[in-house]
Parts: sequence; C-alpha cells; structure tokens
Amino acid sequence: MDRRKFVSDVVLWSAGIAAATPLFTIDQAALAAESAASTVAVAQGKDYAGLVAKALEPLGGMGAFIKKGMKVVVKPNIGFDRNVAQGACTHPEVVKATVKLALDAGAASVLVFDNPTGDARRCYDNSGIKAAVESIKDDRVVCAYADSRKFVPVDIKKGKSLKKYQFYKDALEADAYINVPVAKTHGSAKLTLALKNIMGAIGGQRGQIHWSLGQRIADLNTVIRPRLNILDATRVMVRNGPSGGDLADVKAMDTVAASADPVALDAWAARALFGMEPKDVDAIRLAAELGLGQIDLAKVKVIKA
Amino acid sequence: MSGRPGGVSVWWRRGTQLMFLALFLWLFRRTEYTGEQLSGAVNLFFRADPLVAAAASLATRSLIVLAWPALIVVGLTLIFGRFFCGWVCPLGTLLDGAHSLIQPKKQGPAGRLRSIKFVLLGLILFAALFGAPLVGYLDPFSLLTRGLALSLDPALFALVTTPLDWLFVNAPGWVSAVSEPVNVFLKAHLLPYQQTVFDLALFTGFSLFAIFALERLERRFWCRNLCPLGAMLGLFSRFSLLRWKPGIACRDCRDCRSLCRMGAIGEDGRISPESCNLCLDCIRDCKRSLIGFSFQRPKPRPAPLGVPRRAVLWSFFGGLAIPPLLKSRTLNRRPDIFLIRPPGAKEEKTFLAQCVRCGECMKVCPRNALQPAWHEAGFEGAWTPVLKPRIGYCEFNCKLCGEVCPTGAIERLLLSDKQKLPIGRSYFDVNRCLPYARGIPCLVCEEHCPVSDKAIKLRETKVFAPDGKLVTIKQPYVVPEKCIGCGICEHKCPLPGEAGVRVTSEGEARNPEAGPDFDPSAGAYPGGDGGGYPDAGGGYPEAPPPEGGGQATE
Repeated sequence: MDRRKFVSDVVLWSAGIAAATPLFTIDQAALAAESAASTVAVAQGKDYAGLVAKALEPLGGMGAFIKKGMKVVVKPNIGFDRNVAQGACTHPEVVKATVKLALDAGAASVLVFDNPTGDARRCYDNSGIKAAVESIKDDRVVCAYADSRKFVPVDIKKGKSLKKYQFYKDALEADAYINVPVAKTHGSAKLTLALKNIMGAIGGQRGQIHWSLGQRIADLNTVIRPRLNILDATRVMVRNGPSGGDLADVKAMDTVAASADPVALDAWAARALFGMEPKDVDAIRLAAELGLGQIDLAKVKVIKA
Repeated sequence: MSGRPGGVSVWWRRGTQLMFLALFLWLFRRTEYTGEQLSGAVNLFFRADPLVAAAASLATRSLIVLAWPALIVVGLTLIFGRFFCGWVCPLGTLLDGAHSLIQPKKQGPAGRLRSIKFVLLGLILFAALFGAPLVGYLDPFSLLTRGLALSLDPALFALVTTPLDWLFVNAPGWVSAVSEPVNVFLKAHLLPYQQTVFDLALFTGFSLFAIFALERLERRFWCRNLCPLGAMLGLFSRFSLLRWKPGIACRDCRDCRSLCRMGAIGEDGRISPESCNLCLDCIRDCKRSLIGFSFQRPKPRPAPLGVPRRAVLWSFFGGLAIPPLLKSRTLNRRPDIFLIRPPGAKEEKTFLAQCVRCGECMKVCPRNALQPAWHEAGFEGAWTPVLKPRIGYCEFNCKLCGEVCPTGAIERLLLSDKQKLPIGRSYFDVNRCLPYARGIPCLVCEEHCPVSDKAIKLRETKVFAPDGKLVTIKQPYVVPEKCIGCGICEHKCPLPGEAGVRVTSEGEARNPEAGPDFDPSAGAYPGGDGGGYPDAGGGYPEAPPPEGGGQATE
C-alpha cells in the first residue's frame, strides 16, 4: 500500500480537487510482517498513570512507535456521558500518560478526539479526559471535539460488508494513530476492545453498522491501522455495557495491556479479562479472517511487564 | 450631544437601553450547556415581568415566588411611570434601533388602536383566571426570546458557518488557515454551540418580524397599541409620582406631538402618563425648553386616556368564553399520546398555566430534543416544550430545562431524582424493529439505554427471516417499570423514517394511572383534578381514565 498516495488522495478529496473517493488497499506482505510478531504486554498495578509506560517497556517503549516529528492521533473511548468510576470511557490517567509519552518521544503534535454517541461536551467533561489532557499544558496537544466537516468517504477495498464509509480525516492523515480503548462488555458486540473502538473515528449513520456489526468492525479496521493499541482495563464494566451506569457492574482489574496487533490484544483480553473464547466474539474472529492480526493465542507472546 | 437641556438625559436613556439589551443578549447566549452550574440569571427578564407574574399566578391560583423581581418593576413604575418601556425593555430598544431602517408612513392610526392593548391585557388576565393560559403568546419577552431561540439564533449560526464551512471544505489550505481561526473565535464568543433545528421556526421568526413590520404604521406601534405588558405598566403609571411639568407658553407649537415616539402628548399639549415611556426626547427637542418632569402633580391633571368600559367588557367575556370553547375538543378525552413533556414538568393543566412559551428550555436543551408544540397540546399549548425523540433525546445527566424555566412550570429537580422520573415509556413496533420484522441483528437501542441495569433488555429467540430461514437472534424488549422515556432508543434507532421503538406519554410520572400497570383498586382515580390532563374527566368523576382504562364506554 502506498500510504503517502492515500493520504494525498484524502487531502485532494477534502479540498474538492479530486472527485474520486480515496481508495484504501492493504499490502498483504506488510500485514503478514506485522502479525508475525504479535506480542501483548500486560502491566498491572494501582498506579494507573504509570501503567502505560510499564506496559510499553517490553515493546521497546513509546520510542519504538513514535518517531520525532510525527503527527500523532490518540483515540480514547469518550463515547458516553459517564464518569471515571463508571468505566464507560477510557481512564483519563491512561489517556494522559499516553499523550505524555508520545510527547516525550518527540511527537510534533498530538490530537485527542472521539466521536461520542452522547453530547460531546458532556462526554469530554464527565469522562475527565478533556481536563486530564488539558492539564498537560503543552502547545502540541489538542483535545478537540470531532468536526463534522472532517469526515471523508473512503472506499474499503477489502471490506466484505462495507465497501465505502466515512472516516475522520485527522485519523487518516496521522503519522501514528494510537488506539486507547477501554475494555467493557457490549450488548450486541459482546465485548468492546481495541477493534470496536474504531467506531469513534467514523461518521455517518453509525447505527446501521450494527446490522452486521462484527464484519463491519473488521472491515473498518482495514482502513485505520493503529500503530499501537493500549487497552485500559483498570476498571472494567463486566455487565450492562457499553453504557452501564451502575458501579456494581464495574470491577477493578488494575490492568493496562498494549500491543501493535489489535486482534491479538483483543483475543488476549477476551480470554484473560472476560473468560471468553476470542472466536466467539465476531469482530475478533472476522478481523483475523481478514488478516488483521493473530487470533491464535498459542502464537501470541504475552509478556507480563 | 445636544446642548439643549434633556440632551444629556437622552444619552443616559440610550446608554441604559443598550446596557439592558446587551444584558439580555448576554443572558440569552449563556442559556446553554457550559459545563458549569447555570447561575439561574438567564431567566431574569421573565422573572421581572409583572404580566407573566400576574397571569401565571392567576392561572395557577398561587403566588409564583420565582417572580419576585417583578415587584421591583412595579414599585419603580409607581415612582417613575412607564420608564421600563423606554429604558429597559429589549424589544422596545430593538424597535427604537429599527427606526432608522423602518420609517412610518405619514398617516398612522393616531391613537385609535390604543385600547387594543387593554383588551389584550384584560383577556390574558381574565382568561388566566377562568382557565385558558394566553400570556405566552403576547408577552413581549416571550415573543422576543422565543423568536431568537427558535428562529433567529439557528439562522445566525447557519448564516455565519455556511460560508466558512464552504471555504474550509473547498478552498485551498491557506484560506482555511485564515478562515478557521475566525470560525473558532465566532463559535466561542458569538454563535451557539451547534446548529439547532425547530418546529415552527419560520412561523415563530415571522411573528417577531411582524412586530417590526408594524413600525411602518407608526413608531412603537407594538408598544402603543398591542403590548399587554405595556398596558399593565401604563395602568400602574397612572399613580406614578414622577410627572410631566406643564409648560405655559406652548399654545401654538405642537412639534412635540409628532416627535413623541409613543404618541403620548395630547391635542392640548398634556402628556399622558399611561403612554409616556420617559424617552425624554421632548425635553431635548422643545424649542423653548418648556417641558420638564418633576415629582409634583401637575394642575390641571392630564386627561386620563382611560380604558374604555367596552374594552373591559370585551376582555371579560372573551376570557370567560374561551375556556368552555377549549373544553369542546376531542383532545380532552384523548390527549395526544406523543405529548412528552420535559422532566419536572408539572401536571398538564398547571404546566400550561405556568409555562410562558419563552423557549428558554428549548434553547438550553443540549440535544435539541425539546421542540415547540403546535397543536399537540391544543390551541392553548402552542409553543410549549415537547420532547421529540426523533430530533433529539433527553440527556440522562442533564436537567438544564428545569434550571432555566422562569416560572417553575418545569421544576428544578435533583439529578438523582430526574434520572428516575418517567416522562414517558418506550414500546417496540415489532412490525418495524429489525430483529422482529426481518431477523436482522441491531440492538442499537439497548446499547444506548442509560438506565442501569437497562430498561431495554435482550432475549435470544428464533425467528423466520423474510427469506424463510429460521435464524437465532437477540430481540430487544422494554422493562416498563425501568423505562423513563428519555427517548434515546427512538433517537438512535437506525431505521430511516419512523423508529422501531417509540416513546409515548404512557406511564409518565405526572399521570401514572394512564398505563396498563395502573391498578385501579390500589388508589382512587383522581377524577377531580382531571387525571393530569387538561379538563379530562374534570367534574365527571365517573369518566373513564383517558389512557389505559380501555375504550371510552359511551
């Protein structure tokens, strides 16, 4: 895949110069190379701010993913108007630590955003993420609401159920996309982990994605390929997800796990955190079928950091 | 600045007008989710409005305590006369400001229509007393605030952002580099947060526009002839202490008569306190500096303009006749089941009596969910807030509508109470809902249900898909006693057109007996108070419940 050409297609389309929808294709060789060494690093502890660095250590630290001068997008789950304890959104300390590490690694800019299902202002406030990111006080960091003008249609060549969908321009153009999902249960997807978190980087009628949810999540993940996935399982909504609301449904697990391979990460989380077989979660199984990562946990290297 | 006496006073008056207009617009802009507790001052103008206070108090047979600032206005009117219209009222200020754009024709109605406002005032007060709330239609703040909120503010947003968005999408990057900071600045300081849409937007804007168009007939046409608040303040002004000081040598000059924006100066040169809004132009413009104001009662006393006895009779009989007419509608027996009121709304009859149709709740609603009713709540319910889930849903953690309501028609609730308060209840339309009708998985509604644990639950079942295959699928269902009717399920339902799940007013807290769960043996049916609906069963304790009690027996 010529990524540079794709990004320039996105820019041209956005500027109204090119009429053709940007086409995204995936290079099978590149994919195979990525999934060959699927490693999931797991850190546990009560110091949530420190867990991210701890989890990244076995993977070579943030420097292995973020190079100097990169435009970075950090995409947490800010989907719901729920507070930190309710566990519907990524823990603000995990987001903040991720952003700080990216800055330390030399990122030229870091954008934190999500396209929430609830009122964006309320979600950004109540989740604590906006305040946490803004407390970093660095000119390179922006925590912004999704801008409805910035969704661009992308042809999904490898998509089985979705052939075309709108993606967030900044996410497509980023040099490095860091996916920071929260682990929780989900009524129709069973679990929402790294793969499902892509729902916040797209626009359009997202409800209709649900008519073939697992396949469509997999299809969407062929377009945005996170350089790094950091799964927040500090406190986990084990019932009544994804919106929850009752603290009785939230279990402290004090865990952050990281991997470059979202399928391996989700497969590990499904079994380790929720006691579910990865193949029983449609999105994980179908993403693996598309070659997006390693579902076979026997072939995934899990490192306790 | 004029060198004449009074010139300085006119500048004071203009400064005060602009200050109050700025305050009004600033408070209007603050009527939005900001992440902080609203100070409550956003509804200040309504709370200082004695007409709203009087009408709502008469209609509810209670004192609206929130409206205490109205007493200050009445007190000041008893001292200074109708100063409010000339110095404070933002609508009056805007009309004055429009004068340079809209010039009156030569021949105005010249006082012939003056008594209409007294008829309207009487009609509003009598009708309020006899059970038909009308004040919201004609109160100047209601007209202005709702015109701004439902029509002009959304239009302003579109007007400003459309070209900027076009540039952002279509122009080269360096143009956006200039236009986007402008966009960000305007959105932060001038524009509302988002583009809102409203039912009745055009009509509401037009009714405000009409007040300005009437300036073609004469200056301050609305204030002179129609404004019921002006009429009320005019009546108080009869007793005001500050009076016009009559000149002595102005027998042949009548220039002030045509200059007066309120038409307050009579043929004999005397100034009527009912009409004068103390703009002080006459002091400035009197060629011989003869006009002045003092706290001495003039002799001879000015001829009172008087409220024609006929006007009082008309308004009395009008006020008496309207309520029975309203009772003759089918609405009284079968209220609209899609009439979902905001959380904290009082029992329907009281709600209608207390709501002043200002539109503040609709302005503040972060999801644009509250929409003005047109006919759903009857003629007397137009512009009252209704939840329209297909447009927006009631945000679980929000209670801003109750915080901005100037009269308490929507009560302030604790968030924890609001989150438990049913404003309606959902039901699935299994002919449309995909897992029922077509065997297609969906469940967006369940995902979004904010109640824990879920007022929409799932059960696995087998259904025949349209192609005849038997598929195993999860189907959603409502747990009635958990559902609070917030409408997020209906809003998020991805079906185009009608949703597969809809909210009705069934089971709302204001009217718990209107539902299949109501056990008639557990409590007497409260026939006397109309069961929460306007006039439903009023005086007919044996009448069937309006909802859920089966079909009417007659």
